[in-house]
This record gives sequence, C-alpha cells and structure tokens, in this order.
Amino acid sequence: MTQLRILILEAQVPFVHGGAEILVRELAAALTARGHLAQIVSVPFTDAPKEELFAGVEAWRMLDVTRAAGGDVDLVIPTKFPTYFARHPRKVLWLVHQHRAAYELAGTRFSDFDHTPRDVALRRRLIEADTRVLRECIGHFTIARTVSDRMLKYNGIASEALYNPPKLASRLRPGPYGDYVLTVTRLEHVKRVDLTIDTFEKTTASVRLLIAGDGSIRHELGEYIERRGLRDRVTLLGRVDDDRLIELYAGCLAVLFAPYQEDYGYVTLEAFLSRKPVITARDSGGTLEFVADGVNGYVCEPTPESLAEAVNRLAADPSRAASLGERGRGIAAAITWDHVVDRLIGAAHLVGAGA
Amino acid sequence: MRILVAEARVPFARDGAELHAQSLVTQLRLRGHDAETVALPFHGRKNELLEQACAWRMLNLSSSNARPIDLLIATRFPTWCARHPRKVVWLIHQHRAAYDLYGTPYSDFTGSDEDRRLREQIAELDSRMFTECETIVTNAKNTADRVRRFNGVDARPLYHPPPIADRLRAGPYGDYILLVSRLEPLKRVDLAIAAMMQVAAPVRLVIVGDGSQRAALEREAAQRGAANRITFAGALWGEAVAELYAGALGVLYAPFDEDYGYVTLEAFLAARPVITAADSGGTLEFVRDGVNGFVCAPDAAALAAAIDRLAGDRPLAERLGCAGQSAARAITWDGVIEQLLG
Repeated sequence: MTQLRILILEAQVPFVHGGAEILVRELAAALTARGHLAQIVSVPFTDAPKEELFAGVEAWRMLDVTRAAGGDVDLVIPTKFPTYFARHPRKVLWLVHQHRAAYELAGTRFSDFDHTPRDVALRRRLIEADTRVLRECIGHFTIARTVSDRMLKYNGIASEALYNPPKLASRLRPGPYGDYVLTVTRLEHVKRVDLTIDTFEKTTASVRLLIAGDGSIRHELGEYIERRGLRDRVTLLGRVDDDRLIELYAGCLAVLFAPYQEDYGYVTLEAFLSRKPVITARDSGGTLEFVADGVNGYVCEPTPESLAEAVNRLAADPSRAASLGERGRGIAAAITWDHVVDRLIGAAHLVGAGA
Repeated sequence: MRILVAEARVPFARDGAELHAQSLVTQLRLRGHDAETVALPFHGRKNELLEQACAWRMLNLSSSNARPIDLLIATRFPTWCARHPRKVVWLIHQHRAAYDLYGTPYSDFTGSDEDRRLREQIAELDSRMFTECETIVTNAKNTADRVRRFNGVDARPLYHPPPIADRLRAGPYGDYILLVSRLEPLKRVDLAIAAMMQVAAPVRLVIVGDGSQRAALEREAAQRGAANRITFAGALWGEAVAELYAGALGVLYAPFDEDYGYVTLEAFLAARPVITAADSGGTLEFVRDGVNGFVCAPDAAALAAAIDRLAGDRPLAERLGCAGQSAARAITWDGVIEQLLG
C-alpha cells in the first residue's frame, strides 16, 4: 500500500472540547493505523462578533497546506466551517457542519443571526462563499444524513453520509436496566437539556435522570432544577471520565437524547452499543437516522409530556428496554473506521500516486 | 487564568519549538491555569511569509465561545501578529533567514531588491507587532541581543528547563560521544563527522535526530570509512534519549549560532560535559571552557582534540559534567511562569 501524507483540517475553539475534536483525532488515529502519515492542522475559530467569521475564512485561505516537512501533502480532509477554505488540489470533504447559526439555525433562539437586512446579507454572503469553495472539493462526504441534507438544500451539493463509530465503541458494555435514565450532552442551549429536565416533572415512575456533561449553561441549569423542585429527581453530574461514562451507560434503563436538529451525536450509537434504547424527539435530527420508533427506542414529540410517556413505558417494563436496546446494537456494530477510511481515500483517486 | 500559547508548526516536522510551547502549557496547567496551544501551519519559504503573518493577523483570540481569554503568549514569527488585548512574547525565534542568517548559506534571501524589501517589511512588521505586546522575553541571550539589534526592542532572556529534565540522570562515563540534533545544515553535524575522523581514542559518536540532511550525512560517514564509529540512531524521545545521555562520555554540540538549544542543559542535567564551538551562540551562555566543557574553534581538529582529552581522562569528564549540573539545576519553571504572567 502506498503511504499517503494527509492533513486533517480542524477549526479549534480554544478551551472547548467536544465531539468534533474527538472525531478528528480518531480519524487521524485510524489513518495512522492503516499506514498513512496523518496529522491535524488546527486554526482557532471565533464567531463573535459575526464579522470575524470572514476573518476566519481569510486565514484559512491564506495558509498553504499543499506542502509540509518532507514534501507535498497528498490529500487534505476539511471538516468544519471554515476549514474547507484551505487551498489544495485534492480536498476530500468530510463535513461535520457549516456555520449552523447562518444556516438552518438562523431565526431560532440558537442563532445570533436575526431577520435584519444586515444579517440576511451576511448570511447570504457566507452561504455563497461556502458553496463556491465546497465545490472545489473532489469528494463530498458528511458525518450524517442531516448534514448531507443541509448541504444539498443550501449549497446544492450532493454528498454521502459516512458514519463513524464512537470513541468508546470497543469498551461499551451492557448491564442491568436500572432505575435511572441517562443524558450525555454538552450543556448548551441547542442541546435542549431544559426539555429533558422538564420531562421528569411529568414522569410518574420512580426513575431519576442523570445528566453527564459540562458546558456554558451548567450553572443556569442547576438553578433551573432547583426552581422546578426537581433536585431529588434530576442530577447534573458534570464532566465524567470514560470509565464512569461506560458504567453509566451500562447501568441505565434508557438514554434520553432530544437535542434540536443534532447533526450526528455519538450518544445514540453509544447507547446502542450498551444495548440501551434511545428516547428522542422527532426534530432531533441525526438521532433519527438510527432510532426507529418502537423498534430500538422511541421518537416522541418535543414536549415533556410525550417524552415522559416513553420513559414511563420503559420504567414499567424493563424487559422491553432490553429487547429494544438489543436491536439497536446491531445497527451500531455495523459502523466501522475501515469503511470511513476506504471511502475518503478512494475519493481522492490517488492510486499509484503519493509519497 | 485562561491562557493561549501560540506557536507555528511545520506539518510532519517535530522540533524544539513545538516542545517549547507544549512544555509551557503543561507547566501552566500544573499551576492551575487553563492553558492551550494554538498552532497554525508554517512554511519557511520567503514568498509566503507575509501571507502567513496575515493569516495570524486575521485571528481574533480575545475570546472563545463567549468567554474571554486572559492572555496570549506568542513564541515565534509570526504568532505575535494575532489580535489580543494582552499579548506577551516569549520569543523562541524570529524568522532568522530574514535577520541574522541573511548573507550566510543558511538563508534563502538574496541581495535582490525584492528580497531586500521583503526583509525590511518583515523587520518592520515584527517591530510594530512588538509594540503591541506588554512584555518581551526571549528563550536565550542570543535571541534577546538580536531583537535589540534588529528591532530596537529591549528584551531579557528567560531560560527554562528542557522538556525531559525530570528524566535525566548521571551514569557511567562510557565509550561514546553523544550528539542530539535535528539534521539540518545549520546544526553543522558534518563538522562533528569530520572531527571524528581525527579522534585518536577508541570512542564512537552516536547521533540522535533526523532531518533533511540525514541521507547525505550517512553517506558522508560511510565514504570516510567511519560507518563503524558513527551511529545514526534516528529520532528518539523521552526515556531513550535520557538513557543515552546517562551513559555518554560527553556531549558534542557545535551548531552555527544556535539560539538556545536544550541540548546543553540536557547534557548538564545528566552531568555530562559539553564540547561546543566559539561561534555556536546559545551554548556559550552556559558552557565555560575548562569549567563544565570545552569551547573550541569551529574546526574538526579542535573538536577532535577535546574529545581525545575527555577519552583520556574520565575523572575530568565527571568533574566538568558535575559543574554543569549545578548550573542547569538553577533554571526552573516557577521562575519562568512568574515572569511571563507578570
């Protein structure tokens, strides 16, 4: 096999560590494990004030990623906005997301883009620039169908969804279907943790909610739980380490994950690999690529009542949770890094080229 | 404090500069700060230098995810171009090809009008950016002198322990001389090979490191019939290097006008004497001739004579090495961080 020299392009948000960062590192490890020379190029990204978005675009445009120590770079893999603005003759896109606040989030409470002439113009400029530059890529992949749909809708570019296994895939294990429901999420507004909390005001069963993860609204959520008088039912665990997370997955009754238009989210696959059903909402985006209502979990209305009903149903019948979770496992186990690497490199048409 | 350490990185290369930034981040975290590196890809080609500086200028690092970043520590060209209300420079190096290396074979700048203008632009840019910075300290006296000379900026050297400081220890004074270096022209490893040809004592030379000159240097060693006396160990890290320091007779390090170079301090922390050259720059801030090593003329014969002296007198090697060790131990991270954070 020819060893390729590959750079993975990453937008770094200093002091924030999330799923995209893990994805990029896992991809680098998967490429290295298959004999390639792979490294990550990170450029800090800031979206405030909005005008700085174009500065970020310009920074990527000015960097030369075609050459590195020891010679040419065979292939670059851009991931997020604005990494695809880098110049390279062989860019194979594996899109995590564009700048969502300027895309489908615009006009919602999750975006700082309003319906003002100025913001609308800025959005249009941004989307047009994206479209132009995304077309430079010689292969188009995304991390999930939601992301592919979005790129088709806004940029008119077709792509293939290429799923990857979660980082903990090989370590997750099943366990008893216990007395708590688990949520694993960054504590940000778009993850709609408040909706999850409200659900436990409506559950009649004696199940608790454990929330693993940290984020900018942790304090706010803590106060919210107090105000609602849910201290005995809902616990914010903060950031937990891998061992603890595996244990939490293994012992839960089910996983509840109902963000707004999530792109992918490892949580669904992690739940399935632990043989747990997933309760989600019909507007949660990426979770719906895997969760089928009544088959391996429940797809509810995005309301506390509807989500609570699903929780109650499983609490009343843990054996049902077990059979739903078991069916989820089959789906999650079919997703592999081999496939991801084959598709990305295959799209570069580098057979016989390279180092 | 939330602190960003900015570095410029050549993809697929690994050198002292990267370790410098990484060590600083580690040490800041140990002291309870939230620290992270920011690294843009960098290339030394002169026709892209200003573009890369612009890319850094595009970055507004004053906040991240709606929370302020308290301090930016820039380390080398062009990281100080980034925008931040509170910038501190801990200078590891400027773009030397445009400064002190100009006119030597180590620079790609020629005497053309175009190149002269570019050199001026870079010096002006650096000078202007330095005025935005609150403090400017350098990794070595050599670097501080250069900033003063070319940019008119008053900077103090701030030494720091090498990354593998904790692993280094003394062992027997063995039968090999150690050379740890990236294999690049500026490091003058060819001079060390030439010196070995004139060494009379039965000692070997072990070369740790990799770089663009490796194939040429190996060829040279073979052509001179020294293949059995010179070992190219390749790039080694951590414990493997500490082990080699521990058992060496001495350390040879004679680059051209080096800025700092961890090698001198690493050698001293392992109680090894250092053989260097009178024009090696940063090594001379620590190496005293006859006290903790030898400062030789930059020619093969002089270096060979120093190696022979150590080979013929191992108690001398030990005495010199131990003298170096106490000097190196005075350099601590506490001191560095106190000065940087102000």
